[in-house]
Amino acid sequence: MLARPGLPDFEYIKAETFQDVFDWMKEKGDDLKLLMGGTDLFIQMRDRGEGPGFLLDVKGLPGMREISFDRKNGLKVGAAATLNSLSSHPNSLTYYSVLCQAADTVGNYQLRNLATLGGNICNASPSADMSPAALVYDGIVVVESPRGERELSLDQFWVGPGKTALEKDEFLKRIHFPTPPDKAAGSYYKLGRSKMGDLAIVGVAVLAFPDPNQPAGVQFRIGINSTAPTAYRVPAVEEFLAQNPTTDEILYKAAEMAMDISSPIEDQRATAIYQKKMVRNLVFKGLKEVREILK
Amino acid sequence: MTITESGLIGKSVQRTDVIDKVTGCAVFVDDIQFGPNLLHSRLVRSPYPHALIKKIDTSKAEALPGVRAVVTGKDLTARLGLYLIDRPIFAYDRVRVYGEPVAGVVATSEDIAIEAVKLVEVEYEVLPAIYDPVESAQPDAPLIHPDLGSYSVVNFIFPEPGTNISEHFKIRKGDAEAAFAACEAVVEGRFRLPPIEHVPLETHTSVALCEKTGQVTLWATSQSPFAMRDMIAQSLGISHNKLRVIAPLVGGGFGGKAGVTMEACAVVMAQAVEGRPVKLRLTREEEFVGTSTRQSLISDIKVGCDKDGNLQAMELTYYFGGGAYNDYGVNIARAAGYSCTGPYDVPNVKADSLCVYTNTPVGSAMRGFGMPEIHWGLEQIMDRLAEEVGMDPVEFRHINCVQTDDEIVSGMKMNPIDLDACIDKVTKAIKWDIKEEPTAPNKKRGKGIAIMWKAPAMPPNPGSSAVVRFNEDATLQVEVGGQEIGQGAFTVAAQIAADVLGVPYEKVTVSTPIDTKYSPYEWQTVASRLTWSMGNAVKAAAEDARFQILETVADAWNEDIEDLTIKDGIVISFKSEREQPLNKMVIYGMPNDDFEGWKGGPVIGRGHFMPTYVTNLDPETGQGTRAVVHYTVGAQAVDLEVDLETGQLEVLNIASVYDVGRAINPDLIMTQIEGGAVHGMSSAYEAMIFNEDGVVINPSFVDYRIATIADIPRKIHGDYVETPIDDGPWGARGVGEHVMVQTAPAIANALYDAVGIRFSDLPLSADKIYMAMEEKESTQKD
Amino acid sequence: MAKHTITLIINGQSEELLVPSNMTLLHVLRDQLGLTGTKNGCEAGECGACTVLVDGEPINSCLVLAVELEGREITTIEGLSSNGKLTPLQQAFADLNAVQCGYCTPGMLMAGTALLKRNPNPTAEEIQKALVGNLCRCTGYQRIIDAIMEASRNGGAQ
Repeated sequence: MLARPGLPDFEYIKAETFQDVFDWMKEKGDDLKLLMGGTDLFIQMRDRGEGPGFLLDVKGLPGMREISFDRKNGLKVGAAATLNSLSSHPNSLTYYSVLCQAADTVGNYQLRNLATLGGNICNASPSADMSPAALVYDGIVVVESPRGERELSLDQFWVGPGKTALEKDEFLKRIHFPTPPDKAAGSYYKLGRSKMGDLAIVGVAVLAFPDPNQPAGVQFRIGINSTAPTAYRVPAVEEFLAQNPTTDEILYKAAEMAMDISSPIEDQRATAIYQKKMVRNLVFKGLKEVREILK
Repeated sequence: MTITESGLIGKSVQRTDVIDKVTGCAVFVDDIQFGPNLLHSRLVRSPYPHALIKKIDTSKAEALPGVRAVVTGKDLTARLGLYLIDRPIFAYDRVRVYGEPVAGVVATSEDIAIEAVKLVEVEYEVLPAIYDPVESAQPDAPLIHPDLGSYSVVNFIFPEPGTNISEHFKIRKGDAEAAFAACEAVVEGRFRLPPIEHVPLETHTSVALCEKTGQVTLWATSQSPFAMRDMIAQSLGISHNKLRVIAPLVGGGFGGKAGVTMEACAVVMAQAVEGRPVKLRLTREEEFVGTSTRQSLISDIKVGCDKDGNLQAMELTYYFGGGAYNDYGVNIARAAGYSCTGPYDVPNVKADSLCVYTNTPVGSAMRGFGMPEIHWGLEQIMDRLAEEVGMDPVEFRHINCVQTDDEIVSGMKMNPIDLDACIDKVTKAIKWDIKEEPTAPNKKRGKGIAIMWKAPAMPPNPGSSAVVRFNEDATLQVEVGGQEIGQGAFTVAAQIAADVLGVPYEKVTVSTPIDTKYSPYEWQTVASRLTWSMGNAVKAAAEDARFQILETVADAWNEDIEDLTIKDGIVISFKSEREQPLNKMVIYGMPNDDFEGWKGGPVIGRGHFMPTYVTNLDPETGQGTRAVVHYTVGAQAVDLEVDLETGQLEVLNIASVYDVGRAINPDLIMTQIEGGAVHGMSSAYEAMIFNEDGVVINPSFVDYRIATIADIPRKIHGDYVETPIDDGPWGARGVGEHVMVQTAPAIANALYDAVGIRFSDLPLSADKIYMAMEEKESTQKD
Repeated sequence: MAKHTITLIINGQSEELLVPSNMTLLHVLRDQLGLTGTKNGCEAGECGACTVLVDGEPINSCLVLAVELEGREITTIEGLSSNGKLTPLQQAFADLNAVQCGYCTPGMLMAGTALLKRNPNPTAEEIQKALVGNLCRCTGYQRIIDAIMEASRNGGAQ
């Protein structure tokens, strides 16, 4: 079935307080969805030709658009902060450069003025560009419900393609990124079919920081998307890297390990074997480049 | 009488339409406001690629409040077509492609129409579907058009009833078999490309209004309003003066808006709701699924040359996947047939060019009309043959490329062209002889060249006509039937009229929209023919008007017409130095000396052009005196890099040079060259993707990717040469399609130079390239 | 479906509108206000033909509901030039033939105008990054890049 022109019928409600959200969610159940940037939701509604009877706009709730930072606690990003506001925020640029880099590769500039970090994370697309970067910064989601706040790590939060651990009466309020270790540096490597603007065929975020406690003298964190049901870290690879000198041979072996862990599906966008090879090549490239940045 | 008074010919004047376009004032069909009376329509589309229609029940849809009509093909068995009349307006007994319209719903709102579509119940009996043209051409393939023998067809197209072959064009020239036996080197290969899409930014939109008198008005995104009128009028039995087609500016056509897409559906729906306009607008997804596409092609090519690299023989079979309906497709197969060798001098040719029905979207006119499809294989196999005899690809082309007066594959004498000059310019611009270093250690760099030719593929008698009409203040209206689709047709028309009449360019307006009620006839805006054909008509009309003016003034002044000219809107006599402004005189005439009477009156110039010399071709040999009006030729060279880690290509430079006969507006030619190079480059990556059920699975920009601003080459070195032809305005001929014909094979040839791998199948992708490089490396290690 | 009364400030003009919940800004502009310069190219945020400015920032008007924009300032292509005077960017597009069919042009101009406001001297790569969401099938884009750079030399986004 082809996407319909325009949006199906629904009622728009703007939430003013958190209680509004709880009340509406309780009353309407499955017939209500929360509206963030709309950039995923509206397209899905057009594609399906139908949608929920009610859209509850939560972007205006207290704190939902805010981004704040302090040295001790790190970065707190309101779920409705747009990707452009995140990637241009002075503190995220300084301390979370990989997050900004990843944000800047999502779609296009116009979309990033509408798309929100929270909406992106709740959409839980296996190929989301924000996911590897959010993972290497050990992102934590803060969800709100009538029972109060709850925190989950991102790998607890993403349970499958398009699926999160949100209960029926919970919504995402904030994403918290702890202060990264001193001198952390990294990069996001995205392979798309076009030079810019595409989905990630494979996306790899690499973050590293000096750690004299490790035989390698450095610790790497690697986040990968598009090649598994959810984006993922590769702790076995990160551990291997920490235990060994950062020679090219070791880095290549680590990249091969990541390739073996990846489990891409073949689809019209890429063959599975190519995706696997690109995990290897992008991880290798990322490890080499970030190693040099740290020197 | 060739007059260039104002120096406008060869001048890059500003486009007539650019201010409207940069201010948002330019009006396209979807912008026209029809008021509260407007009804909205949606099409019910087949979910199957091939099926019999057993039953259609529209009762539930009709009962939905707000629905004004539901229309099916039940009483509409007349078909549409220009060359082969094979397509129903709404499928009535059988559907032949996923997405084919089966019914139409008209309602007071788009939302209601969308709901009503879901309520139309259609019972199908699924039939085996066939997608591959080679398979479909086999004698035992399931028939897609069992009634092929009963369709009306023009006398230069040869379908084979009882098969899926809608056109079979043959070239039998010389003795290819014997010639091959004597060749020093023979190379053969099979090349494949999938259907691709036009992807105009403006989707197809139409609004139809049927008055109670039976008068129908159709606003449409159309390149060819007269052809649209003709086809719809014929199939619905409406007389031409009762069907009015209005075509405003087109937001990109590329051939996809050349014929009838879904506009006849709009007319039929409008007839069902007399007196209210009905809008039918395609979504982007419908644009991807439900409009025509470029045909797929599988080409088997065998070429041979002597030890000095001179081409001796070619044997070719082209299997065009024409889609569910092959109206334009048959002419594409024909054009590919009579131009089958590419721009080369080959004395012995055996060629069969077939258009074959497949259960895929309607294959139709897309920029290049068969030429990009065939050059994909031709330009690569020429490189292979050159390599076989140890010759540089450029040198190979120089010794074999077609020259002025050569007898070409169809037996015609080649018109004046200079392909060697085009080759020289591109090789110089791309620094062909220098092996340049890649820009990074993880890259490999290569260069490739490809040449092309194309003739307008038309029936033998396509006409243009034009009128120039003065206003009292001597501003000028130019009336044409050709369309502005972005190529600058209106600008060139204004330039020509202004130049011949000696009026300032700024005083000339081209009347728009094109309206079959008022505009003079134009066959179609296709085939890169407007500058040449419509240009001739405008020139003739302007000369006619000029003569009327000068005749009146000569009479009034008692001077010879040869001593008069018009400059900056003033008639001047060389002899007496008298002056007469055009202002007022062009309507009111001039008084006699003693005011006893008047001379002249309203000046209206009219002109037309129709080629008279195109001949038939023998159905068995494809030979004839003059297959086409003329060829335009060109060369492209590509300099690119391959990223060894990802397989991604980056095109660094494209050099692109065409022989345009005469550049009427040089910068507009450059815009075509630049846009075409990017379009050609993009086409190497594009493909419609189908699943096993014939469903298009990439009907959006997410998965049908076109070149973005970030993908363009670092530099395009565009240029043109001018070898005039004898029947174009100042020797000009068209170039709008040619500029993208050979970019894909030029890229493939450059890729071979970079990494030593040949890709015979489109689309290219980083995935394919990377995996091929890995495979090559591993086989080399073995 | 209930309708909402909203006020949008469009090209400096306050407009009181009655809009259904599900009507995007694109359709309010085109169908309710007759401002048809903003185009519908895909309704999926991919082609950029629907780009308008909201408080000076470019967005895809096909993906935002009119009701979400209560009280906001919206600039469309119709609001760029005034009294027949083109902006330097519009003039550059015209002078450099960065326009062919014209369908992508309003979106390009809006995205380009916003870019020049936030970055008065962009490099070619910055222009590419800012306009990757504006598709064009006709021009091959180089002249669009050139026109934005030309405009940046001639007074930018004024």
